[in-house]
Amino acid sequence: MVKLKIDGKVVQIEKGATILAAAAKLGIVIPTLCFLKKVSPTGACRICAVDVAGADKPMTACNTPATEGMEITTESPRLQVIRRQVVELLLVNHPLDCPVCDAGGECELQNICYSQDVTRQPFAAEDVNPPVIDGWPLIQQVPNRCILCEKCVKVCHEVVGSSALFVNNKGDRAFIDKDLAKCEFCGNCVAVCPTGTMISKPFKFKARCWDLTKVASTCTSCGSQCQIDLNVKNGQVYRVTSDDDTTINNGTLCFNGFFGYDYIHAPQRLLQPQLRRDGKTQVASWDAALTAAVDGLRRAGSATAGIAGNRLTNEEGFLFQALLRNGLGSNHLDSEARFGMQRVYALLSSQFGMAGGTANLGRVGVAEAVLVLGADPTAEAPAVDWQVQVAARKGDAKLVVGNARRIKLLRQANVPLLCRPGSEGVLALALARQILDLGLADQAWLQRQVGNVDELRAQLASVDLAAAAATCGVAPELIAEAARQLGAAKSVAIVMGGDLYRNQAAGAALAAVANLALVSGALAGDAGGIFPIGAGGNTQGLLDMGVACDLLPGGERHPAPGRDLNGILVGIEQGEIKALYLAGANPLLFADSARWRKALEKVEFLVVQDLLASELTALAHVVLPGVSFAEKNGTVTSSGQRLSPLAAAIPPLGAARADAAILADLLARIAPPALLTTEAVAAEVQRCSQKAPFAPAPGALRASPQLSFEVPSAPLLLAGKDLYYAAAVNIVSANARAVVPSGYVAVNPADAQSWGLADGGRVRLGTTLGSIEGTARLDATTPAGVVFVPFHCPDLNVQQLLPAGTNVAPVTAAKV
Amino acid sequence: MVDNRAGGEADLASLKLKLADTYLDQGKVGAFFGWDGIVVLDRATDVVAMAAEYMKRVQENYCCARCSPGKKGTRVLMDTLGRIVAGKGQESDLVTIEGLADLLQSCKCTLCMTSVVPVLDTVKHFRDDYLAYIRGERRPAPAKAYREKLTAPCMDRCPAHIDIPAYVEGIKDYRADEALAAIRRNMPIPAVCGRVCPHPCEKACRRALVDEPISIMVLKRVAADHEWMHHLLPPMRPKAPTGKKVMVVGAGPAGLTCAYYLALEGHKVKIIDMLSEPGGTVAVGIPDYRMPRPLLQREADIIAALGVEIAYGVKLGRDVSLRQLKEQYDAVFLGTGAFKSKPMGVEGEDAGYEGFSTGGINYLRAVALGEPIVTPKRVIVVGGGNTAIDCVRVALREGAAESILVYRRSRKEMPAEPYEVDDAEEEHVRFEFLVNPTRLIAENNKIVGVEVVKMVLGEPDASGRRRPEPQAGSEYIIPCDLVIPAIGQDPDLSYLEDGDYGINQTRWNSILTKNGTMMTDNAGVFAGGDCEYGAMTVVVAVGHGRRAASAMHRYLTEGKAYLNDDEAMEDLINRFGAFDENEQVGIAGGLHREHQPKIAGSARAQNYEEIELAMPESQAVREAERCLRCYRVAMVAVN
Repeated sequence: MVKLKIDGKVVQIEKGATILAAAAKLGIVIPTLCFLKKVSPTGACRICAVDVAGADKPMTACNTPATEGMEITTESPRLQVIRRQVVELLLVNHPLDCPVCDAGGECELQNICYSQDVTRQPFAAEDVNPPVIDGWPLIQQVPNRCILCEKCVKVCHEVVGSSALFVNNKGDRAFIDKDLAKCEFCGNCVAVCPTGTMISKPFKFKARCWDLTKVASTCTSCGSQCQIDLNVKNGQVYRVTSDDDTTINNGTLCFNGFFGYDYIHAPQRLLQPQLRRDGKTQVASWDAALTAAVDGLRRAGSATAGIAGNRLTNEEGFLFQALLRNGLGSNHLDSEARFGMQRVYALLSSQFGMAGGTANLGRVGVAEAVLVLGADPTAEAPAVDWQVQVAARKGDAKLVVGNARRIKLLRQANVPLLCRPGSEGVLALALARQILDLGLADQAWLQRQVGNVDELRAQLASVDLAAAAATCGVAPELIAEAARQLGAAKSVAIVMGGDLYRNQAAGAALAAVANLALVSGALAGDAGGIFPIGAGGNTQGLLDMGVACDLLPGGERHPAPGRDLNGILVGIEQGEIKALYLAGANPLLFADSARWRKALEKVEFLVVQDLLASELTALAHVVLPGVSFAEKNGTVTSSGQRLSPLAAAIPPLGAARADAAILADLLARIAPPALLTTEAVAAEVQRCSQKAPFAPAPGALRASPQLSFEVPSAPLLLAGKDLYYAAAVNIVSANARAVVPSGYVAVNPADAQSWGLADGGRVRLGTTLGSIEGTARLDATTPAGVVFVPFHCPDLNVQQLLPAGTNVAPVTAAKV
Repeated sequence: MVDNRAGGEADLASLKLKLADTYLDQGKVGAFFGWDGIVVLDRATDVVAMAAEYMKRVQENYCCARCSPGKKGTRVLMDTLGRIVAGKGQESDLVTIEGLADLLQSCKCTLCMTSVVPVLDTVKHFRDDYLAYIRGERRPAPAKAYREKLTAPCMDRCPAHIDIPAYVEGIKDYRADEALAAIRRNMPIPAVCGRVCPHPCEKACRRALVDEPISIMVLKRVAADHEWMHHLLPPMRPKAPTGKKVMVVGAGPAGLTCAYYLALEGHKVKIIDMLSEPGGTVAVGIPDYRMPRPLLQREADIIAALGVEIAYGVKLGRDVSLRQLKEQYDAVFLGTGAFKSKPMGVEGEDAGYEGFSTGGINYLRAVALGEPIVTPKRVIVVGGGNTAIDCVRVALREGAAESILVYRRSRKEMPAEPYEVDDAEEEHVRFEFLVNPTRLIAENNKIVGVEVVKMVLGEPDASGRRRPEPQAGSEYIIPCDLVIPAIGQDPDLSYLEDGDYGINQTRWNSILTKNGTMMTDNAGVFAGGDCEYGAMTVVVAVGHGRRAASAMHRYLTEGKAYLNDDEAMEDLINRFGAFDENEQVGIAGGLHREHQPKIAGSARAQNYEEIELAMPESQAVREAERCLRCYRVAMVAVN
C-alpha cells in the first residue's frame, strides 16, 4: 500500500495503482476521455492531467502510478487551460454533423466539451477530411470523427484478441484501419468508441439513444450467458449493449451478443398459431390450436415423446418435463444435449460429483495454465476466449492448445499441439502420463482426493507415450513441453469443446480428459477447473431441470429412464411413439437429419412450439408460436453455473406467447392438478439450480476407466460451430449473412489443390448417408484431411451426412 | 546560446560544436534543427522556411498521432508556419505558435514536445524574419535540400541504433511480435543481445534522470523469447534474388548480422567459419550460463532459413585465401573477430609451463567445445574484463575448488559489468585486487604459483582510470595450479599476410575501414566487428554488420559503397549525442526498475544452466510503461 494526498485529502491504495484510481477512491472525479478501465492505459488525450508536487510538468492520472508521499492537485488554472486547449485541438476540423451523428446524446467528446467549458475555437488547420470507410460489413468507420483514443484498437487486441484494428498513417492523417481477415465483428469497437467513429450499420439512423430504454437481460447465444442491456423502443429491440462495470463480461460482447439479436424481428417469425388440416397449414386461434394439441397429445398419452431446445428457460424446461411426465405420463423426453454436453455432464457427475463444468468462467482467467482441447472458444464460447486472453496475455499463464483445427488461440499458445482429428483424448492421456512421469503431479492431493488413485496410476502407466504421440501426429517433445507447463502450474484450466465431446467416440476422450484433470490439478484450488464449452443457450439449465429421460429435476438419476433422443427416433420409426412435442428443438438440424425427416413425416401427431417458420413447422400438425429471449421472463443457467434472469423487454410479437405460458396452459388443460403456480415453478427452479461449492470429500473423486480409442482416418467430415451461426435461430440473421452469406465447406488449401477445388467453387461431399453440395472455402485453419462444415448455416445442412450422435464421418469430396 | 549575427566572432571551435560543415558530398550544412535548439552556420539560411519544413516533416513523417496535443497541435503548427511562409500570416500566428509550444509540453512523448524547441527558437531569435514574411516583404528561400532523422537518446547511443522506444512500446502494448520486428530492423540476434549486451543505451536513458533507467536489454530478451516460447516462426522473407554472391567470413555477431541483411535484400550469401558452430566469440567466449547456445543456434538457423549457407570448420588463410574469395564472390565481408590473447609480459610466460593457459579466450573456447582439458583445483585468472570474469566462473564449474581473480586495479575500475562481478562473488570467486603478476612460479616445468606485486593507484591515464603503480618490495606468491591470462584479445589478421590486398590496418592491428561504410581500402572487401574495432561488444559488431550490409548492397547494385541519408544523419547525430545528463525532465518519478528473476546462491556454479530467468511478460509491460519514449527529430539544411 502507498499513502498519498490528493487535493489535500489522504488516501491509501495498493502499490501500482494509478493516480486516477486513487482519486476515485476519494470520490474525486478527474476528467478522462481515452481512459477505458478494461484495457491498458493509453494516455492519448492528456485530459486527465494533474499536478504532482515536485514535478514541473503535468502528469496524466490514468497511467501514472501513485507513489508513496505524492501530493496531487487535480484542479488548477494551468490544468484547466491544458484540458480546454486539448479539447479545442480535438475539435479542429471535427465535423459539425452532431445532429445526425450516431453518437449524438452519448458522445464523450460532447460531454467533455460541455464539462470543460469549450466554447470557442482558436485553432485552425487544413481539413484532411479522410473518406468514410464503408467497405466493412456491419461496421462503418467515419475517420473525421475520430479522436484517436485507441480504445477500439486496445479492446480488439487486449480483450477480444482478434487484433484486427490498428493505427494507420502518421500525424493528422492517422486513422483506425482494420485487417478485415482478422475481424470477428464483435462490435466492441463500436461499443467503446467515445464518438461516432465506429458505427453499427444495422443501428445507424434507426433510433436516438435517448429514446431507447435499456432493459437488463442475459444473452443466450451460447452457454457463457453474458449480461446485456436490450435497448428497446416501441416493442422493438434496436441494439444490444453491455455495461463495463456491472456485468460479468465487463461489457464485452461477441458478434452474437452485439449483432446476432436481429433474428428477433426476422420476417420468418411465427406470429399466429397454426393447424394443419387436410394437408394444409392454416392460421388458427390459440384456443383452437391448444385444443388440437391437447387432443392429439392425450390420444397418444404415454406414447408421447418430447424434445426440448436449449432456448427454453429453466422455468420452461421444468414445465416441459412436468407436461411430459406429470401431464402425459411419458418419460420419453430429451434434448440435443444427449449427443453433446450430456456426455460431459454424466461423466463429471459420476466421477467428480459435479453438476456440469466448474462454476465461474472467471477461474479460467486467473489460472496459471490453460489447456484448450478439441475446442474453438472463439466460435463456441467467445467469453471463454476472452478469459483465455486475460490469462495468457495479462496473467502470464501458459497456454497449451491441443486441437486439430488451427484456432485463433494458437496465436497465443505457448505449446501448439496440432493433433489429428479425433485424437484429442489420446493427447490428454499422453499429457497425463507425462505429468506423472515428470514428477509434476501433486501426489499427496491425488492420494487424498482420488478414491481409486491406484487404478489411475496403473492405467496411466500402461500408456505408451511414443505410440500416443504417433497416433496424435504430435512430436513427443512438444507433448513433454506441454506436460511440463501444465504440471508446473499451480492452477490449470481445461477448456474442452465440441470437437472432443460431440463425436460417438467421446466416451474414451472424456475419460482421458477427466483423468488429466485429476493429474494436472485442475480440480484443486481456487483457480482453473474443467470447462466444457460449446453447448448453446440454456443447455445447463435444461439438464438441471431434468429435461432428459434419465435425469430428474435437480440432476438426480431417474430410476426408470425413458427413451432418449435416439430411442425416440427409433420409437417413431417402429410406431411406438405416436406423438412428438418439439419445444424449441428442430430435429431436421440434428445429425442423421434425413432419417429424422422421415420420422417427423411418419409420426401420427407432431406439435411444434417454435419461433420461426421453417421446414419443420410445415410438417407440424399444430404450431404454437413461442417467443425469443427478449420477449420473456425467466432464468437461465450458464456453463459457468450462474443463474441469470431474462427480462421481457418487449411484448411478444404478434400473437406469439411466452413459452412458459404455452406449456402451463397445456398442462392446465391436460392435467390441472399437475399445474404449479408461477411462484411454485420459480421455487422448483431455485431448488434444482442450487449447487454446493465444489469441495469433494477425501476419496470422493474417481478416476475414470480408460476406454479404447479409435482415431478415425482421413478424409474426415467434421461439423462444428461457426461464430456467426451460434444457434439454430441465427440461420435467419441478416447480420450473420452480412459476414458469412451461407454455409460453406472449409477445405485445407493443399487438399483443395489435390481435389481441384478453387475458393468459392462448388464441392460435393458424400458419406454413407448421402451427399450434399456446398461452396468451398479454402482455409488454412482446417487441417489437411479434414473438411469442416458448420452446423445450421443457411443453405447447407451438413447434418444430413452425419450419423446420429456424432459430428464426424468419413467423407468423399469432389469438385462439382 | 551564441548569437554572432551582429558581429563578434565567437570561436566555433571553442563551442566544441560537433557539427560537420559539409553534409556527405551534397553541400554545406546551412543550419541544424534539433531538440535543444538550432545552429545556423550560413547566414543566408531561411530559418523561417526551414522551421515550416521541419514542422511539416515532424507532422507528416514522424508524429505517431497517438496523443491528442501532438497529433493536432503539430498539424496546427505546420499549417500556421505554412501560412506565414506563404505570405498569409498574421502577427497573432506567432502567439499561437508560442501558446501551442506550451501546450505540447504535456504531450505523451517527447517527439512533438521537443519539435517545438527549435521552432520556438526561430520565433524568438529570428522574429524580424517572421515579421518580414507577415508583412509580405519576404519570399521563401528554401535550402537546396533538407535531411531529417528520428532519433532518441537510447537509440543514438546504441551502436546498432535499434529503435528502442518502438520495441519498448510493442512490449507495453502486448505486441511482442511488433516489438521483435522493430528490433530486427537493426538487430538480427535479439536473444543474444537481450542477454549479454552491455547495454550502453541504458546509460543514455532519460528515465534515469527521473528514477532508474529502463531495463532496455531485458525487454529485448522478452520480445525475443516470446517468439520461441510460443513456437512462432519468424515472419521475415527475403526479397527476390539479385543474382549477386557475397562471402561473409566469420559467423560471429558481425558476420551473422551482415549476412542477414544482405540475404533480406535478395543477395546469395555464404558464411564460412573456422569453428564448428555459429556465434564466434558469443558461442565459445560467453559461457552457457549467460548465453545458452541453443538460442544462439536458433538465431543462426533463422538467418540460414533466409537462404544463407553456413560452412563450418573453414578458416580464412588456412583453407581458403582472401584472393580466392575476391575472385569467386561479388563482395566479401570480414568478420573474423579477435581471438589472439594479449601477452601479460611477465617472466616465465614463454617457458611452456604446464598449467599456463594460452589465454582466457582459449580456455573458454576449449571448455565450450568440450575439448579434453582438465581444470585443476586452484586457478588464477589475470585480468578485470568480462573474459576474466567468465574464466573464473567457468573454472568453478569445471571443478576448481579455488578460483582467484587477480586484477591490478580495484573493483571500481574493472571493465567487467558490475553485476557480473557481484555474481562471481556470490559464487565464491576470490578477488585479489591491486596486485599484478610479476613472475610465474614453476616446479618441474609445472606451475605452482604466481608471484604478484601490490599496486597503488596513481593519476588517471588516457582511459580515465587511475593508473596502477607497483609498490617495490611488496611481492608475494599466490599458490595455484593453473594461470589464465585474460587481459584482452587482438584480431588475428594473419590471413592478410599471404598477399598485399591493399587493406590497411590501424595501429591497434585491426582492419581499417572508411567513412562509416565499413569498406576497406580494397574495393568490395568490407570488415566489421572485433577485427575492425578491436575486441569490443556484440552490439558494436551488430552495428558494423548492418552498416556494412547496407553499404555492400549499394556496392553490389550500384557499384559504389556510400552512406545513404539515413546513415549520414545517424552519424551526424551520433557526433552530437542525443542525451543530456543534466536535463531536468520535470516529471514525477519514484518507480523502480524491474529486474528479471535469477537463480541465487553459489550452488548454481555447479552447472551451466542459465542464471537469469525470463521476466514474466506482465512485469515487462510494467517496466515498459516507465519508458518516456524520448523521440526527437533532427534536421539539417543543405545549401
